[in-house]
Amino acid sequence: MLVLKPMMQKTSAKYFFLMPGVLWILAFTLFPLVYSLYLSFTDFRLGKEPQFVGTKNYVEILGLDGEGGDDKALETATFSLFLTLGSTSMTLIMGTLIAWVFNHDLPMLRQMRAIITMPLFAAPIALGFLGVVIFNETNGPLNNILQGLGFERIQWIIDPWGARFAVLITDTWQWTPFVFIVVLAAMQSIPEDLYESARLDTRSNWILFRRITFPLIAPALGTVALLRLVETIKILDIPISLTGGGPGAATQTYSYYVYQIGLRGSFQLGDASALSYLVVIIAIIISSIYFWRVRARFD
Amino acid sequence: MDAASSLSSSIQTTHSKPGYLPGTSRIGRYLLIGLAFFFTFLAISPFLFALTTSFKTQTDSIDGTVIPFIQYQPTLINWEQEFGLGGTETFKSLRNSALIALGSTLIATILGTLAGYGLGRFKYGIGNRNLVSWFMSQRFLPPIASVIPFVLLFRDLKLIDTLPGMVIINATFTLPFAVLIMRDFFADFPQELIEAALVDGAGHFQTFRDIALPLATPALVASVIICFSFAWNEYLFASVLATKEWKPYPMLVAGSDSVRGIMFGFVTTRMLIAVTVPVFLSLLVQRYIVRGLTFGAVKG
Amino acid sequence: MKKKLTLVLLLVSLLMMFGVRAVVAQDTFFGKTAAELFPDSSDSERELAFKALMAANIPDGRALGEGKTITIGTLGQGARGGISGTIYFWRPAFEAATGATVEIVEIPYGQLGTTIPADFLTGQYTYDAFVAAAWQYGDWVSNEWIQPIDAWIGDERFPAWALEDVAPPFRALLQWGGQTYGTQMDGDAQLLYYRNDILNDPAWQEQFKAETGKDMVVPPQTWQQLYDITNFFNGKDWNNDGDPDDGISLHLKAGGQGHFHYATLAASFAVTPADGDDAMAVSKFDNVFWFDPDDMTPLINQPGHVAALEFLQQLAATGQEAQFGWELGAAWDNFLQGNAIATFSWGDVGSLSQDPGRSIIKGNLGAAVIPCSDTWYDRETGEFVTNTDAPNCVGNTTGGSWHPVMSAFTDEPDLTYFFMSMIANPVINFYDATTGWQGIDPCCTYQLFPPRGDATPDDYAAVGFDASDMERYIAAYGENVFSKPTSLTYLRIPGTLEYIQNSLDVRLSEAMTGQKTAQEALDATAEDWADITESLGVESQLEIYQQAIGYAGS
Repeated sequence: MLVLKPMMQKTSAKYFFLMPGVLWILAFTLFPLVYSLYLSFTDFRLGKEPQFVGTKNYVEILGLDGEGGDDKALETATFSLFLTLGSTSMTLIMGTLIAWVFNHDLPMLRQMRAIITMPLFAAPIALGFLGVVIFNETNGPLNNILQGLGFERIQWIIDPWGARFAVLITDTWQWTPFVFIVVLAAMQSIPEDLYESARLDTRSNWILFRRITFPLIAPALGTVALLRLVETIKILDIPISLTGGGPGAATQTYSYYVYQIGLRGSFQLGDASALSYLVVIIAIIISSIYFWRVRARFD
Repeated sequence: MDAASSLSSSIQTTHSKPGYLPGTSRIGRYLLIGLAFFFTFLAISPFLFALTTSFKTQTDSIDGTVIPFIQYQPTLINWEQEFGLGGTETFKSLRNSALIALGSTLIATILGTLAGYGLGRFKYGIGNRNLVSWFMSQRFLPPIASVIPFVLLFRDLKLIDTLPGMVIINATFTLPFAVLIMRDFFADFPQELIEAALVDGAGHFQTFRDIALPLATPALVASVIICFSFAWNEYLFASVLATKEWKPYPMLVAGSDSVRGIMFGFVTTRMLIAVTVPVFLSLLVQRYIVRGLTFGAVKG
Repeated sequence: MKKKLTLVLLLVSLLMMFGVRAVVAQDTFFGKTAAELFPDSSDSERELAFKALMAANIPDGRALGEGKTITIGTLGQGARGGISGTIYFWRPAFEAATGATVEIVEIPYGQLGTTIPADFLTGQYTYDAFVAAAWQYGDWVSNEWIQPIDAWIGDERFPAWALEDVAPPFRALLQWGGQTYGTQMDGDAQLLYYRNDILNDPAWQEQFKAETGKDMVVPPQTWQQLYDITNFFNGKDWNNDGDPDDGISLHLKAGGQGHFHYATLAASFAVTPADGDDAMAVSKFDNVFWFDPDDMTPLINQPGHVAALEFLQQLAATGQEAQFGWELGAAWDNFLQGNAIATFSWGDVGSLSQDPGRSIIKGNLGAAVIPCSDTWYDRETGEFVTNTDAPNCVGNTTGGSWHPVMSAFTDEPDLTYFFMSMIANPVINFYDATTGWQGIDPCCTYQLFPPRGDATPDDYAAVGFDASDMERYIAAYGENVFSKPTSLTYLRIPGTLEYIQNSLDVRLSEAMTGQKTAQEALDATAEDWADITESLGVESQLEIYQQAIGYAGS
């Protein structure tokens, strides 16, 4: 048990609460962050001595030297963007829809709610492998079901867009429960009398949702959207195990590309660090917009 | 104590109000029940398919059948392989995963609760939003860029392939979630009750410990389960930082994809083993999760 | 009372003596019974394995190993998976013979290029030995991560195995710069497999002649003949299951090692043997496939390579589309389940075809050496050559030829070598290669039939294999390593994984799934390769490449 002066001053108290966390993070991430920032200005390959090359890595990636830049970085970043926007919007829409359904007084809600949250707790790397079974083109259950319902079988693995959607669906499937829980919590905290008074004006569920539910769950949606954006930008495990980045390079995400040049076979950490810092800049921009604009309205 | 119990009841009223949407027509109700079942089925069916596949041989696993005994002859071969001759490695990495996840969850939740309380309760000169943003930014950098610097750092600290090393790395990267969840909870906490406790002569830490913390159970549980499952499922850092003794189970899952291609029955077996622990835990604490992950929606 | 007690005691001691006697009477290996050594095996598997173990004459290693621990890293898929299965399988026997403990660290296939280099580069030195692919030798040797084992070979304190037993192309993969680094385990080479029963069916042969106007050559001697056959059978219900069946069955998923199919096939389109007495002599134009040995210019987008890739696209079109998403196992299973008329792949198909749990084609397996090409590109003249009478024949050792190498940093070299040589022991290795599930392929004279080796069909019949299947399979294996005029050079320079997995494999997948043409895909590969070489250092890469392929200069 911590022994403390009974009457801590307010100033010292507020640092007492905050500082352990801050110090912990500083202790373990300051060096790696600064060091990889330094590496991004070198031609470092693991096993060789790093040479300082200034902004060469950045210049080459962005094509500022007039040589067109790093095509693969651009291609993979495009796919990552597709995934990030796709998965974030899909999870938000699906999560909200499911939460809305579960916000009614229905039988067996508790049990069903517990089951629905299961995908959230599975390892993404394992889900990718499970996806290989599920999306199997010849005999996978998904295609069998589609065929049974009279649809075309989809080439989930060998068609570039099929594979891209397979990754998107897997990620959406895993993360919809997260949005669902958060949104459900938000919905359940909306006082009932708000609905009751509104009922006097309208019978439309849609108007109720738009006028009352949505504005009140918006802050939670904002936070969860930010979390989803930031996490999906880094997505790597699912493409690794589900598609191996293929067909060709169709499902290589930006992180996959960085992983490939930084950690698989080549260890070109100079380039990999530079590529990574470009993502950090984008992520910081997104979150700054969020924290300054969106969140400011509610705090 | 009085302050605490009155606070408790006031919090309970805000949180325990069912908040269900008003009832709809009978047909609408059936439709809703149908939808709820449909979504539940969507969530669980891949797991069920994995379960049935794990009892198949490689030949059976690609034939599209699902019902054991009737459509195919189930076999325990995959499970035997994992817990028989490979049992030493399996149990060791499951133990590793458990210790790593527990250790890092403990640290992340303690530090995250303290910081979350601070951020929810006090105003900092540097700006609370900036601080939260800074905590979250720890999750921005793709792990690939930081993993090798971590290797170099850990090498000098003799932390590679050790329990403390694995705990530190996972605690560091789950801490932002704990901070965010706890901050949002404490930000909605009725300040006047804390002030009342302070006026009664309680210290800041005592107020936190005796008044705020006991009521934070839902948020704490949510934070614990999120941190635990993130740490349990972490793969990339482990693949480089845990070389042998402290390999967690996801490393074995990744190893199911071999040079001979994917053995579906075996992969699904390892996948099911991997998800069992966090899923089981989440079911245990189910009722807290929804109340804990409010993210600022509940206005006190 | 006392009398009774004495009687009981007597009875108990008698029983005990009898019990002890029963145990002694049972065969044991260093005090362990077959049940203890092979706990997860079926009775038949246990019996065969134990017999092999007893015949291997493993010396007593307890002076070396008692109380010690070694760590073996291995490509992994669990205790019953390919390659790692072998290590798990013999671990209890090794522990019994040495009193040591073995810790196994599985390395996922996709992590080979990460885990092992990272371990050495960061100074962890986790493994005493590790089982990985021969194509990584360039990295291992040039960085001095592994050490030669010549000093141990032949030492009688260790289980016996002989380099001379290993067929020369596989032996070369255990060696670098005249020194031996690895012990034998797996011998990878791709063969052609076909359905012996269907192709030799006169009715089908007649119909083939009627449809194509050509005689069906069985087994096909050239890729072009193979194409005619797979094209003919593709879409026909030749196995009478009611739906159309496939011609060829390949694995072409990105990351699914389709690049090996390409290399095996492209060799006879792009490699020319030398003119003189030694067909395998390496010159600027002969016996090179990957890079120009004078300046490291990638040859991968040369016309011969492009023609080969275009041919592979055509050939793949005589099978089902799903194969562009298949890894090895799926392509094999399609053939083993009787849905494809042919495939070309590793030795695994031969041993797996005998496994009733996985195959329905036992007794009908056709196997032949990899086909030749009647058209190829001569870089010296800059022209394509077509000659149907004397096609261009190039053998291969494509694949990992997975085997253990000893870390340069091990504290227990003797004990580690004991383990390596035990796995390499002819009796044990012979047994492993007949299991199918272990993924161990034939490499050695003790597996080949005379005159190339000293195995007999009876040896295979003893493990339950079909004699006629084995005759074709083993003969083809021997022909590949002994009878082809030349063989595809094995790429094992630093960065091989980058060149192949990160680039070639991805580009091939792009070409096969129609995202790029063959020319575009290989041009892109050549560009990637030039970048990789530049970042690794052209000079040093060139020097190691020349050393690796035995090029003395033009």
